[in-house]
Amino acid sequence: MEYFKSGLKSVLGTPQEGSQPTGAETVERLVDRVQSSTLLDDRRDACRALKALSRKFRIEVGAQGMGALCQVLEMDRRDCEIVGYALDTLCNITAPESFEDEEHTSLSLSSVGNIGEQFTEIFIKQPDNVGLVLGFLEEYDFHVRWPAVKLLTSLLDNRPKEIQEIILASPMGVSKLMELLGDSREVIRNDALLLLVQLTKGNANIQKIVAFQSAFDRLFDVISEEGYSDGGIVVEDCLLLMLNLLRNNNSNQNFFKEGSYIQRLAPMFNLPPESDDTGWSAQKVSNILCMLQVVRTLVPPGNPAQLTMSSQKTMKACGLLETLCNILMASGVPADVLTETINTVAEVIRGNQGNQEYFANVMAPSNPPRPAVVVLLMSMVNEKQPFGLRCSVLYCFQCFLFKNEIGQSQLVQTLLPSSTEVVSLTTGQLLCGGLFSGEALSNWFSAVALSYALVENPAQKEQLLRVLLATSIGNQPISLMHQCTMLLLQQGNKVQSKLGLLMLLSTWLAHCPLAVKQFLSIPTSIPYLTAQAGSNEHDDNEKLVQGMCAFLMGICVTFNDDTVTTFSKEKLRQLVEKRLGLETFLDKISEVSKHELYSKAAKHPQFQAKQSSELLLDHEFCCLFKALEGMVIKAVTPKPQGDLVNGSSELSMSPSENSLLLQYKDLIREQDRKLQELTQIIDRLTAEKSTLQAQVDDLTSTISQLRDENMVLRAQTNTGLGQTTDGSTLGHKSWAKSHQLKTDSECKDSLTCKLEEQVTSGTMSDLEARLRSTTMDGTVSTSDTEKELRETQQRLAAAEEKLAELESADSELQKLRKDQEDLLELLTDQDTRLNQLKAQLRALGEKVDDDDEDLEEEGEGYEDEDSA
Amino acid sequence: MESQPNKQTGWCNGIAVDLYSGGVGKSCLLLQFTDKRFQPVHDLTIGVEFGARMITIDGKQIKLQIWDTAGQEAFRSITRSYYRGAAGALLVYDITRRETFNHLTTWLEDARQHSNSNMVIMLIGNKSDLESRREVKKEEGEAFAREHGLIFMETSAKTAANVEEAFINTAKEIYEKIQEGVFDINNEVCCTFLLNLAS
Repeated sequence: MEYFKSGLKSVLGTPQEGSQPTGAETVERLVDRVQSSTLLDDRRDACRALKALSRKFRIEVGAQGMGALCQVLEMDRRDCEIVGYALDTLCNITAPESFEDEEHTSLSLSSVGNIGEQFTEIFIKQPDNVGLVLGFLEEYDFHVRWPAVKLLTSLLDNRPKEIQEIILASPMGVSKLMELLGDSREVIRNDALLLLVQLTKGNANIQKIVAFQSAFDRLFDVISEEGYSDGGIVVEDCLLLMLNLLRNNNSNQNFFKEGSYIQRLAPMFNLPPESDDTGWSAQKVSNILCMLQVVRTLVPPGNPAQLTMSSQKTMKACGLLETLCNILMASGVPADVLTETINTVAEVIRGNQGNQEYFANVMAPSNPPRPAVVVLLMSMVNEKQPFGLRCSVLYCFQCFLFKNEIGQSQLVQTLLPSSTEVVSLTTGQLLCGGLFSGEALSNWFSAVALSYALVENPAQKEQLLRVLLATSIGNQPISLMHQCTMLLLQQGNKVQSKLGLLMLLSTWLAHCPLAVKQFLSIPTSIPYLTAQAGSNEHDDNEKLVQGMCAFLMGICVTFNDDTVTTFSKEKLRQLVEKRLGLETFLDKISEVSKHELYSKAAKHPQFQAKQSSELLLDHEFCCLFKALEGMVIKAVTPKPQGDLVNGSSELSMSPSENSLLLQYKDLIREQDRKLQELTQIIDRLTAEKSTLQAQVDDLTSTISQLRDENMVLRAQTNTGLGQTTDGSTLGHKSWAKSHQLKTDSECKDSLTCKLEEQVTSGTMSDLEARLRSTTMDGTVSTSDTEKELRETQQRLAAAEEKLAELESADSELQKLRKDQEDLLELLTDQDTRLNQLKAQLRALGEKVDDDDEDLEEEGEGYEDEDSA
Repeated sequence: MESQPNKQTGWCNGIAVDLYSGGVGKSCLLLQFTDKRFQPVHDLTIGVEFGARMITIDGKQIKLQIWDTAGQEAFRSITRSYYRGAAGALLVYDITRRETFNHLTTWLEDARQHSNSNMVIMLIGNKSDLESRREVKKEEGEAFAREHGLIFMETSAKTAANVEEAFINTAKEIYEKIQEGVFDINNEVCCTFLLNLAS
């Protein structure tokens, strides 16, 4: 302080005797001098003095001097020294932290914390000020460039969003910052690195520009200069920046992959020689952890599949996966590094068949050599291993079997009885061992791991049913399913074990009626679930167990093929309704998704648990639950008869609304049935009508034909008669013939009478019967008529011949005429009678009429003969 | 040229620049070029998206880095950051919307001001498949290109017509400049490619 005071004296002159100026007064004078001095030297000295006071009298300098300092940046930018002082001063007053020697005379302690923030706010009110500072980054002078970097860092710390926007908007702002990474002075480079880390936080646009400005190249250059993972904290800073650029930024991830930067990651994981115990300094651990994060950022489970796939492929191709697997199997690796490496390997192989296959074939350098998977699972079921490590193994196992049908079937295969005696330890054996171990966490891990073999794989669900276990010597082997159910009963208060088993069973039974059948055949299964789901304990985790039991019961209903008669779909449904009550049952199911760990587990495939007690639900199970919950609820809810399912809307209804709806449905169904019946009747009637219509048409045409022929015949007969009249001679013979004709005519007469009788006595039903007769009948009658007609024609011809003979018989003519007249009279008589009958029949309906006409025509046919 | 070191054969770093209002189909162009597919509904480009593809020029494999930049005015300042460091740019307008053509001058001034003077600029009239709705004649595009010393082409991201050619011709032009030594890149073929849309 003495030094400062003497400096002050030289600037301000000797203070007046007796009156020691206060800090505020001194600052005021200095600020005045900075603003109004005409000489640069004076301004520079004042500025230096302000800088010296800016820690102790931070508030005073900031409050009074801000304008003056900004003015210096603007007006005196050519003088590096004064700019340097001004920047340093601004750095001090905007620093996010407070200084030890800072004096807080007039301010309460509560506001001290944000002094820097307030001054930052004042400073950036004029965005040009930030532009000025950015401009000074181009000044090579250390005393300008360095404080400029520091000032920007302070500003960013205090007001990150605003500064990001200002820098984005200022031309070449980002590139100026990027240039700093090439500065040969390490202090500047390192501080610039920190500045960039701040700058790129949460701003995708800046991240992309920084990446565009070859950030990755520069960072890798720095990292390799510093000696990769053996480098100092600068390496970590570089990696932090890299993480910022890549996290949640698909464009940059794509750029990273396309720019072949993944290939440059591999050498980072080179291991120290095994003998070297000093290889794992704290910094090295941090560096490696950061590098692993970078790898994981490129292949997170939530990323677009295409991007992740191609990155994973590159990672295998360039040997990165191999390097990581080497770390897994190396000795002397710190537990946290090992844990994170396992997590990283997990994500590098997740869902990528090629990488999963590679991983399956990695062998551990043990004696005898065992697959890495086996060695990892051994750690998982070993309660002495750190919790985090065990979780990461399970995560790795999950990723290993994710969309890996081959891996899933291989795991189940190790459990099936095989002809060849398996000597070495297998994954399946390890998991079964864990399932039956006394440690709840091991149970949970093993059950969940086993369930991964069944995810979306119906074939393996059925295969696993075949697994038999020899419990003790002499006892019958027991199925794995049975054993799991027994274990469930024996767990007592071990919530974790119970949940593990319930998740395994749920995954197993879902979409697999065969498994449901086996489960229901176990006598204790349903009673246990009913008891659990019906119990009423209020502990959060107990509620979860109850919900899971209810869910499992629901699965038993949903995927039930009714082969176990005691627990058919309908019987289980009734059990739920009568023993538990539907409402209670649904409430219990909803408990699962209400649990706080459910949302955590559902969010991310990796286990987020910090301690063993937080490990209750698994991600894959949560996915299953989410997918099946609705289906299960629908299956359990009683349905109206028939399979008309409007489930979703019905679910949301109250019981009264529901019953009303059912009533309406019944009504609609009844109406629907009636409608169908009526439609059928109409169809039948239409068909009948068209057949009849065809018959009618047929008959009508026949009739008109007959009428025409009749006309012709009548005309011919008339001609015949005319000839007879003209004929001059008529012999006895002809008379005799005529007589014969008369007799014939009489004969016909009687026939006509008979017909008349027939017609008169023909009841309506008789006529209808005739109408209904087939077209065949119609044709037959027609052909009959035709035959008769033909006969008639023949007879007519004969008659004509005879008439020709009669021409000579004159004397007989009169008699004949009379006879003819008689005959005509008779015919007229008959005609009249026939017309009467016709009218009578017409009254009986059209069809009858037609038929009548037909009959009449026949009658006329006879008449014609007669007249002939 | 900024150093975009290439460890293999070559880099071509380019920017696709989009002039403000957006929607002229620049992102579709890029997708058609990198993935050979057309996506009729595309989200607005927010800021900048990256794409890459290998091409062969004179038997030499060159990897094109393409930066697809947003067309909206709001992103103008962001887009500017990409001019420097780009070896080439595709300036795209929409032939069915005259206003996108009218904006070309503004864009060009901006680009020339912030970019390397040797940047190869290709003018592209996109959506040539929509002939019935055309508002800007091909001749107008040609005239503008001639006047400002640009290469010109009409493309359709939908039918893929000329898309390949547009990128490859620009890349060839850049490659020639590299051979001539206009771009100062020691031995390494490196070019940034800016895809900017006049929309």
